[in-house]
Amino acid sequence: MRSIQAARRHTWRSGSVTVLALLALLLAACTGTRTNDSPTGDAAAPGFFPGEVVTQQGAASAGLYLPVFIVAAIVFVLVEGLVIYVTLRFRRKPTDTQLPAQTHGNNLLEVIWTAIPAVVVMILFVASFVVLTKVEATTDDPAVTVDATAFQWQWKFAYPDTPIELSGAGRQGPEMVVPINETVRIRLHATDVIHAFYVPAFFYKKDAVPGRVNEFEVVIEKAGTYGGQCAEFCGLSHADMYFTVRAVERAEYDAWREQAILDELATPTPPPPPPSGEPKPPAGEVVKVLTTAEAPLAFNVDTITAKAGTALSIEYTNDSGVPHNIAFYQGEDATAPVIAVTVPYDEAEPGPGDVQLLTFDVPDEPGSYYFDCQIHPVQMFGTFEVTA
Amino acid sequence: MATTTLPQARPAYRSRVYDWLTTVDHKKIGVMYIVMSFGFFMIGGVMALFIRSELAVPGLQFVGEATYNQLFGMHAVTMIFLFVMPMTTGLANYIVPLQIGAADMAFPRINALSFWLVLSGGLMIMMAFAFGGAPVGWTMYAPLSVTEPATGVDLLILGLILAGTSSLLGAINFMVTIFRMRAPGMTLLRMPMFCWTTLVTSVLLVFSIPVVTAGLVMLFIDRNYGGGFFDPAQGGNPILWQHVFWFFGHPEVYILILPGFGIISEILPVFARKPLFGYKAFVFATASIGALGFSVWAHHMFTTGAVYLPFFSFFTFLIAVPTGIKFFNWLATMWGGQLKFDTPLLFAVGFITLFLIGGLDGAFLAVVPFDFMVQDTYWVVSHIHYVLVAGSVFSIFAALFYWFPKMSGRRLDERLGKVQFWLLFIGTNVAFFPQHMLGLDGMIRRIADYSDNAGWTSLNFLSTIGAFMIGVSVLPFLWNVFITLRKPQDAGDDPWEGYTLEWATTSPPPVHNFDKLPPVRSERPVFDLRHGDVHGAPVAAITSGEAH
Repeated sequence: MRSIQAARRHTWRSGSVTVLALLALLLAACTGTRTNDSPTGDAAAPGFFPGEVVTQQGAASAGLYLPVFIVAAIVFVLVEGLVIYVTLRFRRKPTDTQLPAQTHGNNLLEVIWTAIPAVVVMILFVASFVVLTKVEATTDDPAVTVDATAFQWQWKFAYPDTPIELSGAGRQGPEMVVPINETVRIRLHATDVIHAFYVPAFFYKKDAVPGRVNEFEVVIEKAGTYGGQCAEFCGLSHADMYFTVRAVERAEYDAWREQAILDELATPTPPPPPPSGEPKPPAGEVVKVLTTAEAPLAFNVDTITAKAGTALSIEYTNDSGVPHNIAFYQGEDATAPVIAVTVPYDEAEPGPGDVQLLTFDVPDEPGSYYFDCQIHPVQMFGTFEVTA
Repeated sequence: MATTTLPQARPAYRSRVYDWLTTVDHKKIGVMYIVMSFGFFMIGGVMALFIRSELAVPGLQFVGEATYNQLFGMHAVTMIFLFVMPMTTGLANYIVPLQIGAADMAFPRINALSFWLVLSGGLMIMMAFAFGGAPVGWTMYAPLSVTEPATGVDLLILGLILAGTSSLLGAINFMVTIFRMRAPGMTLLRMPMFCWTTLVTSVLLVFSIPVVTAGLVMLFIDRNYGGGFFDPAQGGNPILWQHVFWFFGHPEVYILILPGFGIISEILPVFARKPLFGYKAFVFATASIGALGFSVWAHHMFTTGAVYLPFFSFFTFLIAVPTGIKFFNWLATMWGGQLKFDTPLLFAVGFITLFLIGGLDGAFLAVVPFDFMVQDTYWVVSHIHYVLVAGSVFSIFAALFYWFPKMSGRRLDERLGKVQFWLLFIGTNVAFFPQHMLGLDGMIRRIADYSDNAGWTSLNFLSTIGAFMIGVSVLPFLWNVFITLRKPQDAGDDPWEGYTLEWATTSPPPVHNFDKLPPVRSERPVFDLRHGDVHGAPVAAITSGEAH
């Protein structure tokens, strides 16, 4: 008997603790401050309802959430309400000396609570099927098509019939530019393992599967920059495979496209010639750099040293199964101009036994510069130390 | 007894160890399964605490990406294959023969083999950590699982094949035992609900384990012998792996939860002092869940672009109906009863309140356009953990508290049980409810780190607090078991006023389980005996373990 009282006090006390915890949770959810520059988030804090959705297709999908949520909320309140009622009303009392009525069942109730849920779920199915058809529909002639290729651990965007190729890694993933209010078809390719193209603001994702081209269409209704991320576990740097989609007015898109084509066609600036009149410095030593099969995402050195004003030769052997290159930068990090690169990153081959040779002029100014693998800049980088 | 008889000495330590190592007694095997599973529960739990510690705030503070990517997969493998499955098998091993009035399982030696196979498989899987781990997730999607060089993946594959074989042998054993060794008068429709769920679980295992085993062999061939089952360059298809895996993987989740449903169906009636409401409806619902469970596998593959979406969405919605039937029948069982909130009932009611959330999450996921948004996000992680923690873990603790007296002769302490329950209940909600919001906001899963300006930090931190509460809740249980085992064996045959045959023998039962069986004229033979409702003499039990 005492334990029933204690248990009842327990229930109320712990019940209030739970309520307080939930209130604290709601508070945290509602008051989070955010900026708009996160790779995949939006300005609103996470809550019970989806954030902003900017595509026609996504809006249709997100529109299903509220009716399903209402049905779920009704079921939740009904069942939990019954549980609370039953646990309070039908507790064993000291006066319970006789057994309660030994009811074995009720066929009518069984029919009712089978039929009603069956009807409810069938209505939800039909509603979701209708929206699904809209979301997955494709047109014959999309305004813009973009080929998105996923590989460990980056995205590359290409525009068919143009030389445009956009790439980037980590938080500085590539940015796809597309026009608003027009049909954009995105074709998904993967070269190594399964990845997935996910833009929360589109309320959509689809897998990029090797051996298969998945495609989908969106009509973006609001200009802006929307973050995306690979959403299928793809190995070591799965968490760093970001990209963005920038949706702009048609005129701005056209201008961007023209400029991007020009940029792509322009030849890269050659390294500056040595000052005239001075004899060419003797050829430098050959620095050997290695990537092994056991550590496929690392250089075996984190510092490469050379004398200012000399010529440096690099012999890079890649024994891993992952494509790599080495690029040297005229500055502290990869935002600086490239001095020289072994092979362009989109032509790099995987090993084992891939040997890349490079000879270039070391900067005249001593200091700490930078080198990295342009395909895996998050994992593979180091200091290029130029001594006097 | 003659006065010159000497008291029996306790057998020597070495011979007790030998006895346990060579036993074919279902009760001892059941205890070994339970103890092994609990050990893996704690190991998997420590992995979870590492995972949640890393995710509490942005930045890589503790483990780094490579180790994190090993941890989440191994956490799932440990909890699914080395905790929940062997734990429910252990409970069934101990209880099912008792509940049907048998002296042992149909194949006692194969029963022992099943235990030693899953223990070996478990040790092999743990060894993977020493060989680069298995950073491929428990779902092992190809081509990642094919190209991942770490040898740990091969150890995982082989360990799973051993564990799967163990489950398959056990399933056949349970099916034969249940079909052929029930007490006189116990028709299938008078069998305890826990035996029904064990039976349907066994059928699911028989049809699904061979499929995943075949898949694992194909994966091993692709990894080690130049096979191309899943390699497009050789004419294979990565999607094939997903079909083979999920054809097993979906029935697997029902394998994980059906025993829990059976346990709840045993406990609620006893503690409400009423029969289970709608016994036949329960049988129908259990069988439907089993059958429908084979029709929904590709709802895990909605985003692959390679499955016929409406079919799988339809059946995923449909499978909500039999689970709903169970919920309403459980509520009706409690309605009008006289509920005594001892710890088993606390866990059972906790199960009902929280498994509901996991089930409703699943209904959302059946909406394909919504799945496109939250697949591979923390919404799915939340769903998984509501059904597995609030579902399987709660029902396992309910069973442990309910049957501990039968197995050991002592009742676990009620106050410690209540402390454990409330810590686990609150911790579960604090850990997993925020994850709905994170998923809905776009936080993907299987990432070691997330952006610091995504606005996900406070909910992740909260979730980590909940995870540690769950971890702490294990401590009162361990203390409870320790102090209880030192008490005298005074629980008696039937401490809960139970209904089913396990309560008609001593606690713990003798080696041959029963000297006499009460007549079985309903699904509650011990209730009938206690209330004198049944006419007829007790029946001599079959002590040799032969089928009748």
